[in-house]
Amino acid sequence: MGSSSGFGSGHDYSFKILIIGDSGVGKSSLLVSFISNHVDDLAPTIGVDFKIKHLTVGGKKLKLTIWDTAGQEKFRTLTSSYFRNAQGIILVYDVTQRETFTNLFEVWAKEVELYSTNQDCIKMLVANKVDKESERVVTKEEGIAFAKEYGCVFLECSAKTRENVEKCFNELAYKILEVPSLLEEGSTVVKNTILKQKQERQASAGGGCCS
Amino acid sequence: MFSRLASDAEMEKRKADEFEPGPASPLKPVDRFGFVKQDQNNSLEAKNRPNEVEREESRIRKWRKMIGVGGSDWKHYVRRKPHVVRRRIRKGIPDCLRGLVWQLISGSRGLLLMNPGVYEQLVIYETSASELDIIRDISRTFPSHVFFQQRHGPGQRSLYNVLKAYSVYDRDVGYVQGMGFLAGLLLLYMSEEDAFWLLVALLKGAVHAPMEGLYQVGLPLVQQYLFQFEQLVKEHLPKLGQHFSEEMINPSMYASQWFITVYSYSFPFPLALRIWDVFLYEGVKIVFQVGLALLTVCQNNLLKLGFEKLIHALRNFPEEAMDPEKLLPLSFSIKVTKRLEELKQEYEKQHGTSLAQFTSSSKPLKSLQSPAKPSND
Repeated sequence: MGSSSGFGSGHDYSFKILIIGDSGVGKSSLLVSFISNHVDDLAPTIGVDFKIKHLTVGGKKLKLTIWDTAGQEKFRTLTSSYFRNAQGIILVYDVTQRETFTNLFEVWAKEVELYSTNQDCIKMLVANKVDKESERVVTKEEGIAFAKEYGCVFLECSAKTRENVEKCFNELAYKILEVPSLLEEGSTVVKNTILKQKQERQASAGGGCCS
Repeated sequence: MFSRLASDAEMEKRKADEFEPGPASPLKPVDRFGFVKQDQNNSLEAKNRPNEVEREESRIRKWRKMIGVGGSDWKHYVRRKPHVVRRRIRKGIPDCLRGLVWQLISGSRGLLLMNPGVYEQLVIYETSASELDIIRDISRTFPSHVFFQQRHGPGQRSLYNVLKAYSVYDRDVGYVQGMGFLAGLLLLYMSEEDAFWLLVALLKGAVHAPMEGLYQVGLPLVQQYLFQFEQLVKEHLPKLGQHFSEEMINPSMYASQWFITVYSYSFPFPLALRIWDVFLYEGVKIVFQVGLALLTVCQNNLLKLGFEKLIHALRNFPEEAMDPEKLLPLSFSIKVTKRLEELKQEYEKQHGTSLAQFTSSSKPLKSLQSPAKPSND
């Protein structure tokens, strides 16, 4: 039981995670399922939403700042700026809707390439709604193949039954912890130093020096 | 451990509720607007006050006189006493007359009368590229309202029809998430066809500036509104504006849905209605005023919060801050008209002709008067 939700500042690392994918694939449900252990029918996300989760992975206390985005194409002008500085990106598709899978090639992989500022950022491919096995049209093998081609971690899960939901976020966090550059970005110590520098700069900027 | 068990039991109950087929069980208590009650003691409900009913009846009498039979006296009254009308609307349109008055003040009545048969044509004979997108969101729009709860019930069907009709009527806009909340709100007060024309009146600009830019590619009008709002926060609430920039909070993180759905997405329904009364009569500036009023009321608390708690607070205002009787008078006292216009020009200068381009590519409202021609593209 390493995870707990709610606010608090006692963490070693803080990471920014972004969830993307077509409308209706269950991005918000996945997040709500992870945060609060149950899923109601959710209204479509308008613009962006945001949740915090504290968890412990590999003995490290982590804080995940998770940005949930609207999937509809028109909202991309609002959501694209949220790719910046993300250490982890979760791409979600619905195994019962083929188009949500093909749009990963057509749309979402390109969005990541275009807007993600982080070379080492961990990408995770999540196949959602596996509880609807009888309606499945995208096979697990296809998911694995995509994940391999685009260098993603892959998991099949169900926000509804919570199958693999915690694993999804835990594994993503685990992978991020393995990358030194991401670790450095997420380190609280480093962040505080940067903040201090920023404040000092601001203070001195008041004296008329800025570049 | 015990609380965990309790929450599990609660979950089971919720699941059981979810899978109940057919219309909402009559046992579920609903509020006066038809939403299934979340908590029993809704402090914002007006019915508790004893002299409220009497006052409401006298207001309704005044309003009926002002409107006349079927709206016959309305235009005359508005021309003669615009300030009385504005004052009364700001106090809230009586709920039983809301649907009619909304149509009168939005200009949608006129559109409906000028375009007989057009709505039917759009619903029955045309096909829309957005049909699947619309269907996917239907059950996710006001799921806690009795009218929209029943799968394929009358509420869901009219919502689908209005959205589909609009997506055919303006193929540039099509269907965008958020429109469902506008249409849903309207459908609680008027027929499908009336709701459709009110949507047209709003987006094409029958009385006020057109708002279709909220839903066009690139959401140009949302971008403009967010820019204007950010500046207004800095000017009206400098301390908070400064705090927001330090914490790297920008309005797209909390206010996009205020504009995209005109507060119909996640605000208490009684407040949303009162905002809509004013919005339809006075225009979009009320959206800015309410936003600034909310921030003003909560300023002292917001100033204490860091990024995460701040963004949480901006998406979950306390109930007492959202009491229309307090929030609206404060909103009206915030003057924004002149600055909004200046900031709009500033935005257009900064962003070249982008917005003008968008608006010129879409059909002007005038073309409405000719019947919609079947388009087979």
